Amino acid sequence: MNRDYYLDLARRGLRFVIGADLVLHEDADPERTRRNGEGLGRVVEKTARRQKSPLAIPLMDLRLEKLDLLGPLHLSEAEADAWKLAEPDEELFRALESAPAGFPELNRAQHEAVRYIDEQTDLLPVGMVIGPFSLTTKLMADPIAAVAMAGGGVTPDEEPQVRLLTALHALAERAVLRSAKAQLQAGARALLVCEPAANIVYLSPRQMRQGADIFERFVLGPNRRLKQTLKDGSADLFFHDCGELLTEMVRAFGEDLHPKILSLGSSRKLWDDAAVVPKDVVLYGNLPTKSFYSDAAMPVEEVLRRTRELIREMRKTGHAHILGSECDVLWVDGAADTIRNKVEAMQRHEVAQ
Amino acid sequence: MADIQKLYDAILNGDAKSAAAIANEAIAENMSPMELIQKTMVPAMDEVGRRFECEEYFVPELLLSARAMKAALGPLRPLLAASGAQPAGRVVIGTVKGDLHDIGKNLVASLLEGGGFDVVDLGADVSPDKFIEAVKNSGANIVCLSALLTVTMPSMKTTIEAMKSAGVREQVKVLVGGAPVTKQFAEEIGADGYGENASVAVSLARTLTKPVSA
Repeated sequence: MNRDYYLDLARRGLRFVIGADLVLHEDADPERTRRNGEGLGRVVEKTARRQKSPLAIPLMDLRLEKLDLLGPLHLSEAEADAWKLAEPDEELFRALESAPAGFPELNRAQHEAVRYIDEQTDLLPVGMVIGPFSLTTKLMADPIAAVAMAGGGVTPDEEPQVRLLTALHALAERAVLRSAKAQLQAGARALLVCEPAANIVYLSPRQMRQGADIFERFVLGPNRRLKQTLKDGSADLFFHDCGELLTEMVRAFGEDLHPKILSLGSSRKLWDDAAVVPKDVVLYGNLPTKSFYSDAAMPVEEVLRRTRELIREMRKTGHAHILGSECDVLWVDGAADTIRNKVEAMQRHEVAQ
Repeated sequence: MADIQKLYDAILNGDAKSAAAIANEAIAENMSPMELIQKTMVPAMDEVGRRFECEEYFVPELLLSARAMKAALGPLRPLLAASGAQPAGRVVIGTVKGDLHDIGKNLVASLLEGGGFDVVDLGADVSPDKFIEAVKNSGANIVCLSALLTVTMPSMKTTIEAMKSAGVREQVKVLVGGAPVTKQFAEEIGADGYGENASVAVSLARTLTKPVSA
């Protein structure tokens, strides 16, 4: 889609949260539906229609690419989720390079859900992948120290942890590209790339200010290549990072990756970020939905106050904005109604000019 | 002769290899382990903490310094044990049941170890029973519970309640932390403290504990 399509959605006041998990849990057997492509596709469709959004944002399941990457190890889903490597293992690296022909069950369901949206609805089919850097951090026992050592100029030959980081990062990028291509083949016209670990916990602001290339090497470079894959497949990039960021990082996401939609976490003031993000990039977010489960931590009045503030401040900037969540809105046992009420309240709330 | 200033610098700069090498040199020269710790290594970590608080250092620097401290403590520990020195405290730490995120937990564990605590790290997705068993087996006086997800925060409450039922709650202080956790939530579930970041968690642990018998 051209940029005008998304800019127009913003101008028309579209509001939606990344909320398929909430709708999935309305199902009698969410775990079964999660594994059924058409069933999952219906959940994604219902999520979009309920919010009057033409964008079919999928269920945010950031385990999928890890599950696929670890396929050659024949682990259970739970084992794959918990799997982390503490030391380099060349034999293992070689084994992981041999991706199997098919995808795991959960991944196939995600692809089929995209296909369902593409073939059975008038919604825009959106795929989703974890970002290469964030996937890397899920594969390592101690990613922060390794990235910090790499940022300090330590090479893979000098330090096993940097060797581990470098090898797993390459594997992660391959797995993400494989996932992206499969979703494009299933009909995705846009891809939401979730890179929440690209933040100042993993990437030292001190090192970056001193000129370390860690942000370029581990985050921007791979995501630039991912964007090229999307471009080759005529699909749009939506980029999401709910981590704590430096303004320089936000600027780079906007200018360098130049996504159609940039989604940021609630630690950012979007109206400040509007000054460093190109005008043709729609900013999405960023109500603190992670706190919606608690009326004490986030009463509905505060949700409405923040809704008003965000809409008014963004109007002042003139920057295209879609009101939404800071991340995916998870179903919380015992608090689902509380969360839904707040999501509905922020969507209904009229904000005067 | 071992250059003690370089040990201080190695910890401050997060250089684990140098820190361990200098500690070994110092031992070979019969320097007092306790003096090394108290006059050089702890002040270095205090400076790291100060730099973190004023945002000159960030989590990666904090972690590298904690690793350097741990590396330097490695060769000193047997000597400390032989001399009857006591740890700052004994901590059981883990990410609660249902939650596989361990970065924050690992950071706190590293800083606690660097701060002279004995740490029993149970990993992620830890059931209440495992916490209870570890408290009983280790004689810990602190339990640290971590959670990253709102959906797993209730496991913190479940764990504390299970500890009460098992009769071990009163022998430990319970600290909780993680991105969605708040001071208010900590109070609601009956925790003794809430660490908004790893550095605060270690300070709290120091405040809440007294040395325990080895």
